[in-house]
Amino acid sequence: MGARQHHTAAAAGSVDDFEYNWEKLQSAIRDIHLKNTGSLTFEQLYRHGYKIVLLKMPERLYDNVKRFEESWFQEQVIPPIFEVISKNLVSVTLGSVPGTSVVDRRAIGEKFLKVIREAWEQHEMSMNMIADILMYLDRGWSQDQSRPGIFAATIGLFRDHILRTGIQADGNPPCTVFGILNATIIDHINMEREGDAIDKALLRSCIGMLESLHKTDEELEDEKLYITDFEPEYLQKSRQFYKAECDRLLRESDASTWLRHTQRRLDEEAARCLTTISPITSDSIAKVLEEELIQSHLEEFMSLDGSGVRAMIDNDRTTDLAVLYQLVCRVDPDREALRKAMSNRIIEQGLEIEKVLKNTDFSAPQTADEGPAADGGDKPKPKTLNASAQQTAAALRWVDDVLNLKDRFDNLWSNCFSEDLILQTAITKSFAEFINTFDRSSEFLSLFIDDNLKRGIKDKTEAEIDVVLEKAITLLRFISDKDKFVLYYQKHLARRLIQQKSERQDVEAEMISRMKRELGNTFTSKFEGMFKDMNISKDETEAYSKYVRGLGASDEKRIELSINVLGGNNWPKEIMGRQTGLGGQERTDAAYPREIKALQESFYEFYCKSHQGRMLNWVGTLGTADIRCVFPKIQGKSSGPLSRERRYELNVTTYGMIILLLFNDLPEGEWLAFDEIQAKTNIPQPDLINSLTSLSVIKATRVLLKEPPSKAIVKPTDKFTFNREFVSKAIKIKMPSVNAANKVENEEERKETDEKTNETRKYIVDAAIVRIMKSRKELVHSELITNVVQQLASQFKPEINLIKSRIEDLIGREYLERADAIDGKPAYRYVA
Amino acid sequence: MDDSAPSRYITLVSSDDFEFVVLRDAAMISPMIKSMLERRGPAGMSLLEAQTGRCAFPEITGQVLEKVVEYFHYWYKNRNREDVPDMDIPVELCLELLMAADYLQLDSKS
Repeated sequence: MGARQHHTAAAAGSVDDFEYNWEKLQSAIRDIHLKNTGSLTFEQLYRHGYKIVLLKMPERLYDNVKRFEESWFQEQVIPPIFEVISKNLVSVTLGSVPGTSVVDRRAIGEKFLKVIREAWEQHEMSMNMIADILMYLDRGWSQDQSRPGIFAATIGLFRDHILRTGIQADGNPPCTVFGILNATIIDHINMEREGDAIDKALLRSCIGMLESLHKTDEELEDEKLYITDFEPEYLQKSRQFYKAECDRLLRESDASTWLRHTQRRLDEEAARCLTTISPITSDSIAKVLEEELIQSHLEEFMSLDGSGVRAMIDNDRTTDLAVLYQLVCRVDPDREALRKAMSNRIIEQGLEIEKVLKNTDFSAPQTADEGPAADGGDKPKPKTLNASAQQTAAALRWVDDVLNLKDRFDNLWSNCFSEDLILQTAITKSFAEFINTFDRSSEFLSLFIDDNLKRGIKDKTEAEIDVVLEKAITLLRFISDKDKFVLYYQKHLARRLIQQKSERQDVEAEMISRMKRELGNTFTSKFEGMFKDMNISKDETEAYSKYVRGLGASDEKRIELSINVLGGNNWPKEIMGRQTGLGGQERTDAAYPREIKALQESFYEFYCKSHQGRMLNWVGTLGTADIRCVFPKIQGKSSGPLSRERRYELNVTTYGMIILLLFNDLPEGEWLAFDEIQAKTNIPQPDLINSLTSLSVIKATRVLLKEPPSKAIVKPTDKFTFNREFVSKAIKIKMPSVNAANKVENEEERKETDEKTNETRKYIVDAAIVRIMKSRKELVHSELITNVVQQLASQFKPEINLIKSRIEDLIGREYLERADAIDGKPAYRYVA
Repeated sequence: MDDSAPSRYITLVSSDDFEFVVLRDAAMISPMIKSMLERRGPAGMSLLEAQTGRCAFPEITGQVLEKVVEYFHYWYKNRNREDVPDMDIPVELCLELLMAADYLQLDSKS
């Protein structure tokens, strides 16, 4: 019923009704501003607004409220604000601050901020209440007209009539209250960055205001004044601040200080976004820090002498490195700079290892007990071997040093670099690089394994052995010329097997199986073949001795035979006989004594029963013989060992046995010349020299006398006789085999090995080319090269020139022919 | 009365002086009543209704206000339920109820 009355009223004197209602509202609004609300009734005020809307005059109300607020600002709010905007405050804003101390600046700034805060809080509270009272206005009108709500319209007045008010101070360029506000806030934050205490809550309130106000009354979320006006300036000023700070750090401090400082700044700014300014700035300010404090001078800090990356690595400054890593990750997903710095250091240190090694060799070639005490002088070694023993020690030391270096970087990697994959790749690459520039790495690694399997693992636990094996594999992974390594390993393994020097068979097998796992079947097939030969030979030996017993002829003088049948392919050539190089010189058989010959024939006959059509060659340098030797009582000696007849069991090489047997028939006092021995035994000269040296030079085993007597290696002009006065404390004597130990090759040997490797590589490259061309039929030159390199990567890194020359060669042999160019690039065709 | 925690109930008064004691939370579904009861600012600035908990509606009759109050409680009771039966609305009150609902802004989402 009441409603009907309103409608009729609206038709009549509507203007008077409006004025009546507006008067009531206006006075209430004034009361609200004056916080004098205790006696106002919400329902009444709401009803006045409601009525005006029903009178269809809402726009007038809307505009009246705005006008009221505008005049309220002019009269009540702006004057106190202008009062605190002093000349000094304006000059702070404009960046020139002569004559004001920090304390003064802070004081006038705070005063200003407080006035602003007060005005804002008043306004916001009043507007909230007024908007509530005028709720029906929004409901009945603003929404329909798509005008901003009454709250948005009135709260925005603060922006238009306070913040954007210009100030014309004498002589200064014009600025706005807003400009001064921004500058004051930023100035305060800079004070805090410099270490002064500031009123964070005050700043937070002002920032809150900027977050509540929008650029327009549409109140778009991304048009908050904070985002449009404050943040850009804040970021720009912060950038200036940190740029200057970073420059100063670079001038005055070291990398370590810089790291810590940067990290602290990152934390501080993150905290500041939570306590003082808005969290939405976190990412942007972090980016400013990253660019100015980290990125801009990153490489300069990293290369600083005494505190840069090099010093951090060398002095194990793990905390520094960890911080550095975290900082680098923020700015560079590729870790480019860190990666480079680390790679350089690895390669430098790798080359350093090599250099130290060389210096050790040159400075102390004779004194054996220098650095690598691991090879300790506990065994009295023949002096002639000293230099090479030292070289072997150097090889072991190289391996150790490289592995230590690897350990160090692995530690850094897991402790400081969060096991970063990119850095791991970089570490691996750098190690491979310096290891492969060192031309002896394959040989040294094989020697390292050799030494460990011979003696190193003797007193070690399973776990320790595992570590050794793993080290070997780690290093093996880096080596790119795997074929060379195979060659060396084959040679060293052969010696270990035949001379039974290997400490433990199971560890040998484990080593091989690990290589197999790492590098595949082809890589280890030869090694496995060697083991198989040894095992089969053991059975063969047993079968043979059974067979001989079965023959019944139990002969007193029968010779026990233990035999190793070695398949020619699996074993290194130089072991199989002195046929190094590729010269096909005819193999000469030594003149074996009758008894031995009979034995050989008997075994051959036995062997052929199970393996028809096979040839057996007897390798005199590898075999050994135990012979019982009687040294006569010397006339005229009545005491001491010489007064008795002495029996010794000598363990000599097969050749050594042949030679010694010659002296059986030699009358006392007669000498045999080198030529004579050679003619009678038909032993190749180098082997003969070695054998005679081992029998006549070394004092502990000198069963032959040499003329002229010297400690030098036997020369083809020397003469020999039986040493009747030989004395030894041991009954069983093992004649040392000269040149039989595994050691570093000398220059000549290495040249040979290299040549051999190159020769073998030719065939491998040929095969690869043919394989590829057979499947592709036609191929561009560059692609062929890439394919070959790829296919051979697991074995070695072929030189491009080698591939080229092999292609030429294959064309010459009509496996390939030049095809028409494809896309203007030279190409080849496979000739079926 | 206004300093301690506000009472759980408020009183609605009709034009013909009928008083209805209503659960505060139930009455607050009206955005208009909600604003009416609000206290704001650090000083807890508020208008008369918020201080007394007594809201007078001089232009709504007791008959209509009774139905409005019934609706408040109906809504409050069923606020978390589904498949709620309709409320009984007498046809003769329809127009006045609609106007009261508009005044109290009961159709707006809050």
